[in-house]
Amino acid sequence: MNPKLLLAAILPMVAVSANCQDLVAVKAKKILTITGPTVEDGVVLIQNGRITKVAKAADVEIPWEAKVIDASDKVVMPTWVLAHSEGGMRPSNESMQNVPWLTVRDAIDPASGYFENALRNGVGTVHVMAGNRTLLAGTGMVVRPAGRTVEDMTVAANTGMKLSLLARNGSRLQQIRELRRAIAEIREYLADFERKKAEFAKEQEAGAIPKDKKFEEEIDRKKQAAVDFVEKKLKGWLYVPSYAELDEALRMTQELDLQLVLGPNIDEAKALLSKLKSPVVLDDTLEYFETDEETQKEVLHCTARLCADAGVPFALSLGQGGQTSYPWWQLGTCVRNGIDRKTALEALTVVPARLLGLEEQVGSLAEGKLGNLQILTGDPFAATTWVETVVLEGEVVYQRKDDPRLKYLFDEAAKAAAPADAPAPAPKAPEGEQTGGDNKGSEGSGEGN
Amino acid sequence: MIRTPNSAALAAAVTLALAVAVTAQQNAAAQQDGRAAAGKQTVTAYTHARILPGGKPAIADGVLVVGNGKVLAVGDATLRIPDGAVVVDCSGKTITPGLIDAAFAGGASANDLNEQSEEVTPALRVLDSLDPEAPAFARARRDGVTTVHVMPGTRNVIGGLGCVVKTAGDPTSMIVKQDASLRITLGAEPSMGNRSIGGGPPESMYYRRPTTRMGVVWEVRRAFYDAKEALQMTQGAPNASPPSEGVEILTRVLQGKLTAVTTARSEQDLRTALRIADEFGYETVIDEAQDAYLVADELAQKKATVLLGAPSAEQVGGTAGSDGASPRSGTVRALAERSVRVVVTTGTNALALPLVREAMFANRNGLGPQQALDAVTVEPARLLGIDDRTGRLAAGLDADFVIWSTDPLDPAAVAESVHIDGNPAFTR
Amino acid sequence: MMRIPRRSPLLPGALLVCVLLPGAQAAAQDVLVQAHRLVLAPDSVLTDSAILVRDGKVAYVGADIPAEARSAARRVDYGDATITPGFVVATSTLGRDADFGETAVAFTPDLRAIEAFDPWQDELKLLPALGVTAIGLAPSARNVAGGIGGLVKPGAAQGRIAEPEAFVGFSLAADARNPERMPTSLMGAKEMLREAFDTAKTGVEIGPDLAVLRQVMAGTRRAVVHADTYAELNAALELSQQFGFQPVLVGAREAAKVLPRLATVGAAVVLDTLDPEGRLATLRLPAQLAEAGVPFCFAGRSDRLRLSAALAVRNGLDRRTALAALTRTPAQLLGLQDRVGALRQGCAADFVVHHGDLLDLGARHVATWIDGRCVFGDEPQQARTATPNTTSAAGDRR
Repeated sequence: MNPKLLLAAILPMVAVSANCQDLVAVKAKKILTITGPTVEDGVVLIQNGRITKVAKAADVEIPWEAKVIDASDKVVMPTWVLAHSEGGMRPSNESMQNVPWLTVRDAIDPASGYFENALRNGVGTVHVMAGNRTLLAGTGMVVRPAGRTVEDMTVAANTGMKLSLLARNGSRLQQIRELRRAIAEIREYLADFERKKAEFAKEQEAGAIPKDKKFEEEIDRKKQAAVDFVEKKLKGWLYVPSYAELDEALRMTQELDLQLVLGPNIDEAKALLSKLKSPVVLDDTLEYFETDEETQKEVLHCTARLCADAGVPFALSLGQGGQTSYPWWQLGTCVRNGIDRKTALEALTVVPARLLGLEEQVGSLAEGKLGNLQILTGDPFAATTWVETVVLEGEVVYQRKDDPRLKYLFDEAAKAAAPADAPAPAPKAPEGEQTGGDNKGSEGSGEGN
Repeated sequence: MIRTPNSAALAAAVTLALAVAVTAQQNAAAQQDGRAAAGKQTVTAYTHARILPGGKPAIADGVLVVGNGKVLAVGDATLRIPDGAVVVDCSGKTITPGLIDAAFAGGASANDLNEQSEEVTPALRVLDSLDPEAPAFARARRDGVTTVHVMPGTRNVIGGLGCVVKTAGDPTSMIVKQDASLRITLGAEPSMGNRSIGGGPPESMYYRRPTTRMGVVWEVRRAFYDAKEALQMTQGAPNASPPSEGVEILTRVLQGKLTAVTTARSEQDLRTALRIADEFGYETVIDEAQDAYLVADELAQKKATVLLGAPSAEQVGGTAGSDGASPRSGTVRALAERSVRVVVTTGTNALALPLVREAMFANRNGLGPQQALDAVTVEPARLLGIDDRTGRLAAGLDADFVIWSTDPLDPAAVAESVHIDGNPAFTR
Repeated sequence: MMRIPRRSPLLPGALLVCVLLPGAQAAAQDVLVQAHRLVLAPDSVLTDSAILVRDGKVAYVGADIPAEARSAARRVDYGDATITPGFVVATSTLGRDADFGETAVAFTPDLRAIEAFDPWQDELKLLPALGVTAIGLAPSARNVAGGIGGLVKPGAAQGRIAEPEAFVGFSLAADARNPERMPTSLMGAKEMLREAFDTAKTGVEIGPDLAVLRQVMAGTRRAVVHADTYAELNAALELSQQFGFQPVLVGAREAAKVLPRLATVGAAVVLDTLDPEGRLATLRLPAQLAEAGVPFCFAGRSDRLRLSAALAVRNGLDRRTALAALTRTPAQLLGLQDRVGALRQGCAADFVVHHGDLLDLGARHVATWIDGRCVFGDEPQQARTATPNTTSAAGDRR
């Protein structure tokens, strides 16, 4: 389709929806603000995409022109923020190793099932970066998982350079050496460039070159992002696959502006973890078994717990499939490993928001923040809780009752099983609040602490 | 949790008194069971716990009394605690029966689950391949599983005899039931690797039937016809020479003395399984049953029991992935609504989570919390014919129970301690 | 460098000739071997004594040596050294697994391993330097019932067959399962043996293959069974209990899991030689077996036999059992304790000479004798020059 035509088709829609949803009021049984106190029977007011008020219903008068979303029997909280993800691209890894000039903008597929799934799970902000299998992989961007084009989805572009120490041929040292060499080459290039510039200035001084002539050479476009990175103008996001690379990663943080993304298998580096000062991003695999060589007994480790024990703040990630793709599973994994609920919730909201420099925009429900919220059927920690509605910047972008994937997984099964002569049951996925019952899983819903 | 012996001095005397008090049957059981070690002579009462006894509603403030490796009593706060019992305060905890995985794929190396030299091997016992110290058992214990049903693999048409074992104990005392089931596999898996004309050197043993689904069913049918014939012959002539062991095992299925568990994932295989069971008149038990939502009414009508492998998974992993089944989250609810007996298992799907999390997903996908828990305790015990030993918390049954940090269907729940025959099998 | 003792009255490799030509025997001169310490068996040690070797066998020991024989014998004195019985390796295919497994069919109990024996094989020539004087030549672990094993001996130039039929080799180990023939699984392997033993027990007309199983059940032939994991060991023990035989379990990596049952059944174990960097549990297994009263020996890498015994001692095994594990126990396990493994009267004159205790890895290996001939190392210079008619020379010992 002609891109201009497509744009023309969308623009009026955006304009219309902006007009209609100027003012949105979300009524909730419980509002988990994350940074502030929990509000029972409250209202969130969103105007022009930003939150203008979070308060008890009794203290707010909902303007007559507001569009009201009634979740007065449900839990409302900010959408999740993912600080590091390689989803939504096909594929996420360039087969060449040293490609700092690439950007994920050119690989993001707005129609990818990844973004659909992100909304289903209540994710509102995703930092998309290239995969872990590329040495110097290019720059990432922050998107919201709703929209038809990358431009639609963009929250922030050029958010950092992805680097990875994941050994490709089983040789960790080689990977470390190659990364060091790649960075050294960029520095050499930059030094060379600066020298040429200085020589030019010197010759100009000496009169060999006319005064009015400007130094015309520019930094190679293919090297610009890498140069920004070594000059600390662009943050580097370094994937550290295991304990063995952590030492080197720590050394690199001293000379570069780096955000570490830790893989599993870091228990051997407990002592090093405590040297980390800034928060880390954890891989979606939080738990792993390790077999003791001598006794052959398996020991379960949890990366979040190891970080918590070392006093390192962390942000959680979500997997692209399976159990780790569910936020409640990740939160539950933290809690069952002894991490308190507040820390777990923050690890998917305010901590990643801060890492992305978006703490003023997302991650909590407070006045002035973006109107990004999710409506849940219950406690965000319970397996029986479902995301009912997702609102991004005041606009409803997901509703469970219209979710085609859930229809496929639940309603079609129910329909197929229905007796031929009986009318098909109304399409309905299981109700979180129904299955609550005497299951204490939903007990004490959603206390942040 | 604090253990408080009420009176250490009294303990021995009380133990004696209790030994008299327990029923003769229990004494017999304890004697027969040579493991009635000195450590078990003490009586322990777990108090102030939320108890989910299995098959019954929860007891909010419950007491569980255990001694001699058996459950002595279960009740609410009014239950009298025997004098001298060690009292363990379980406030805030939840106690459930030990979980039962009715289709456990661990415990033996994968290569040893299938004897591939023949397609019909009913006389093979998977028990011969089990390693009681396999890491899979340790993982199962850590996640609250105290009893597992291990079956031969799914590469043979008739794979052999499954057994029921506890997940801890010495190798012989672990065994709950030696010949618990006979595994039959339908679908594409049994014919995998078999060669048809032009498919390789004809002298290979894999140059054989079946190579199609039709062929698989033919093998099943022929085996049962042989058994039927043997049965008729021995009934006519009491002095006839006994049938071979394999045929004899199949006759046990025909006589209703042995449960045949049929692995059937896709709709067509499910219908075939129903048909064959009907034809030879044995109880329908279907394992895996990913497409069961498509035949839910038929399953209900036949009063079939369905083992649902890994309800958390939205796809089938491994070699069975090409079997043609497409799992749907709504299956468990579709079956429950038609009162089909559902047993939740980890099964053959490589993507399976620990059993307790599979029950959690069954709950998430529409099964009520009590039903979800029963699907990994009461229901598998009934199916495997071990409900007189385990699967519930009731006086006289084995003291197999789990103390959970919170409700087991909560993703944050961990098994704080797991007890098998009253012995701690795992402690966090 | 290996040196063949030129002054020996026997020609190199002439042992077979000795057997074939009785006349040659008369020509063989008795040899009196003396040393400071003479370990006849782990629990029988003589000091400053000697053995009289005649026709390749130990004819007399210590004080039993008749005076006239003593004076007539050629004298070999190893001075301060220690003489110990040569090492016996209970089961080995001499590095040629493929030759000792008729793998097309898994059940071949009536094959004879010695038919595949090559007396000129290189591996054989290396063994004397490692102290090995006898090997139970076994069918490989690749067949469920591999065949009948025999006893072979290395020599200075070529080996020889000492006993063509000694034991039967079975295998329940992973090697015996093959996806291309029956059985492919442990269940299948066990069922195959169970059925065979059952038929051998009850069958009326049985072939030569099942006749071998009958010998096992009658106790006239030892069953040597490869089994490593718990499940494999369990299967072997169940079969031996069901059919009433005492198995020799080869490999037995997880023997610790079935320790009490091994003793109950009367099983013995052939352990793989130890690796100094192996798991502690493996290094401690020999001591555990000894404590449980389970006889065991080592087989595997011949260059690690001494090391294995030393490592086992380091991890709690007593020295006597360690020495037995290299010598007497393997001979017993093969039912050949009257032939090899000790320096008793009538046993083969197979021994090793060390300066010091052979369990001390620093002790120098001086010589290896097989069937009364020095096949590795030196005969001491002093002994060579000794004259036969010296009756009470300084070097004479009792």
